[in-house]
Amino acid sequence: MGNKQTIFTQEQLDAYQELPKRCFNKNNLAPLALPAVKAMLVGMTLPCSCAVSQDNPFRQRIAEVFSEHGDGNMTLDDFLDMFSVLSEMAPRDLKAYYAFKIYDFNNDDYICKSDLAKTVNKLTRNELTPEEVSLVCEKVIYEADVDNDGKLSLADFQHMIVRAPDFLSTFHIRI
Amino acid sequence: MPEADPVCREEEDLVGSLASMSSNERIKAIQKMPKTMRKKREIRNKVLKERTKKSRHRGAQWTQGAPGVSFRRFGNALSEFFQQLRPWHKSLKIIGAEFGTSVLSYFVFLKWLLNFNIFSFLINFGFITIPQFLAAEPNNLSFTGLELLTGAGYFQQTVLYYGFYTNATISKVENGPSYNMQLAYIFTVGIYFVICFLILLFSMARFFSSNFRLTKAFSVNASKLLCTWDFNITNEEAVKLQQKNLLTQIKEDLTEVNKEVVNFSVMERFVHIATHLLAWVVSLATAVAACAGVYFLSINNLKLFMKGYSNDLQRQSAMLVLPVIVSLLNTLVPFLFSWLGHLEKFQTPGQHIYVTIVRNIILKISIVGILCYYWLNIVATSESQCWETLVGQDIYRLVLVDFIFCLLGSFFGEFLRRIIGTTVCVSLGLPEFDIGRNVLDLIYAQTLTWIGILFSPLLPGIQMIAFLIVFFVKKVSLMRNCQPPREVWRTAQMTTSFIFLLFCPSFLGVLSVTGVTVWRLKPSEECGPFRGLPSMYAAVDEWIQTLERYTVSKWVVWIYHNLIASELFFFIISTVVLIVTYLYWQIIQARKTMIKLLHNQIINAGQDKKFLLQKLQREQRAKRRSSSALGGRGQQRSSSSYHPSMQPAQEVPGYPERAFDRNQNTSHNEHPFSVEISSSSDFSPGKQLR
Repeated sequence: MGNKQTIFTQEQLDAYQELPKRCFNKNNLAPLALPAVKAMLVGMTLPCSCAVSQDNPFRQRIAEVFSEHGDGNMTLDDFLDMFSVLSEMAPRDLKAYYAFKIYDFNNDDYICKSDLAKTVNKLTRNELTPEEVSLVCEKVIYEADVDNDGKLSLADFQHMIVRAPDFLSTFHIRI
Repeated sequence: MPEADPVCREEEDLVGSLASMSSNERIKAIQKMPKTMRKKREIRNKVLKERTKKSRHRGAQWTQGAPGVSFRRFGNALSEFFQQLRPWHKSLKIIGAEFGTSVLSYFVFLKWLLNFNIFSFLINFGFITIPQFLAAEPNNLSFTGLELLTGAGYFQQTVLYYGFYTNATISKVENGPSYNMQLAYIFTVGIYFVICFLILLFSMARFFSSNFRLTKAFSVNASKLLCTWDFNITNEEAVKLQQKNLLTQIKEDLTEVNKEVVNFSVMERFVHIATHLLAWVVSLATAVAACAGVYFLSINNLKLFMKGYSNDLQRQSAMLVLPVIVSLLNTLVPFLFSWLGHLEKFQTPGQHIYVTIVRNIILKISIVGILCYYWLNIVATSESQCWETLVGQDIYRLVLVDFIFCLLGSFFGEFLRRIIGTTVCVSLGLPEFDIGRNVLDLIYAQTLTWIGILFSPLLPGIQMIAFLIVFFVKKVSLMRNCQPPREVWRTAQMTTSFIFLLFCPSFLGVLSVTGVTVWRLKPSEECGPFRGLPSMYAAVDEWIQTLERYTVSKWVVWIYHNLIASELFFFIISTVVLIVTYLYWQIIQARKTMIKLLHNQIINAGQDKKFLLQKLQREQRAKRRSSSALGGRGQQRSSSSYHPSMQPAQEVPGYPERAFDRNQNTSHNEHPFSVEISSSSDFSPGKQLR
């Protein structure tokens, strides 16, 4: 593998250490990023499967949200982005913004009823009947939609996050 | 491209504002931005270029570049070094991955408590024990193995207990620097408690501020769906289990929604309340009975101890009776409480957990309370030779037996239960890790240690070793025997409650016990660093009196007389604190009213928007009908801002329709935070898409 510390120049390391919330250092960055770095050096991009657990139902969505073209293949920068947002020191607003994007399946900047239905199905392995799913979605929208437009905007979502103190510790992946 | 211009302008504004900030603020601001890393790097490079341009303007004076960067690099290197020292990082990661954040919170709490003990052990060992080694008297007692369990015998004449410490001023060299053991003892213990107080206070404040929930159960279902999925869990089985739990919960919620709210008849409600009352009466009666039993047993023990024993073995075994009975009570009575909890039908499982925890706390506090009363009132005034050492030995035995029972509890509660659950009685299944009970056990052990610091300075070291073993044993037992928790455990709220419990009955109780000991009780005449003084605090008084002779230390004497020992000063401070608290409370009330008003305002704005959209659609439909009737001229109207709150009957130009469509369908990849702009009711199509 060679000397792990010479993969990045000092200026690059400075940039990497300033930009995400300092969850990386020279030592744990290199082992994580080596396959991604190798891919970057060859100009390829990397599928997300090595990063997030295979069984996480949102694995595909996380890959799509953080990858550059929304196709699920991540460069080193996207990889670092993902881990920095999911680390424990990322600010709450940043996490809320990305969680909102993950749950927004059709990328229209609102979590509408169909997005919620997909979320519910992913969370329960498709074991609820469609009537139950729509009932749940209606309840969620009724509770969380503050400006009454029938869907959740980012502001509604952030408003809800403030009242869920567990969010910061559950929206978190340890490296 | 007309659209790129506002983008460029906005970026220039951003770069300009970032360039004018200090480097720390700039770093924080860039970190907060929800853009990809490549964008952030571009912005950072632009900002750095701006700054170098500005610094060239102002000449070479503004050289914040180089030293700032190297300082930050040094800081980063230091934090890397400390990060590598993080113990158990891998274990915690595995536990979190398999069982989720709720079980992880127990282990994080244990690690945090361990730090208190390590700190206390280090300062006690450094400032009290090491000097004592220099002035130690020889130990003539014999050592048999049983002393490890009872703490008596050989250990009585060692640095483990208060009684061994000298009251002399230690000096190795004649007329050289001397070390006053009395002051060292009282100041070390005092400063440790002050530091602990501050740490607990700040931790509690931090947790309260980040986890405080308004009392209204607001958007419970929504947050349950969108905010509780634990991304930590990577184990396939655990993920499936989490999904199953969520499914069960959703189904339960739905059935509650489907059936109407059942109105209990008067008879049923009466039975309900009577059951609750009865359960509480039984719990409190059990706690009182436990306390009475412990009290009379201890008095009996003391009488027998003073009378003397027939042989050594009887004495050793008699000393262990009290700790074993206390630990048995602490282990078995909670089963009674949880059985009572099953009998009463609570409305939510959360209530059940809370009530059981409250009852356990009452039991543990009363037992510790009665023991303290016994130690401070009975043992301290008895005619024993060295009552502090006796108390220290009692606490040592309690801590040790509690530790052994914790290990046994893990063995029986988890290992045997798993064997039973998988072979004999398969319907029971694997046991779950009982977070509440285990955390309360930790708090109880830590309370005993804190009480014992004054009487046995090395007790935190023993507790430190005990906690290390408990961590390892609990982790192994968890991984082998337990399954992930089935019920929702509100981690953040419970952690805040546990830290609050650690502060309020536990630490404050310890402070009062130590305070009473230091100020009111008479130390024993023949042993310990405070022998012969009327109270332990008298050592400080004497020291202040000696300081009065020297002019250079007059300010210390002044501070002591006017600030620490004067009641007027404390009265004034208390009044000021009360006034400030009252002001903050009023500010909180005002803010709550403000929140309600703003909430109503948002709802009204939403309704305004709906009304206007409907109006707009009607007008456009009418216009389309009229223009298709006229043969489709499709004129472009001039741009005039559309003011929603005025004249809706004004002629509606064609472009708001386009803007309206755009708002609905396109993705805001460039400026994600502009979502909130489009959801406001301010339709200004002249601004186009921001």
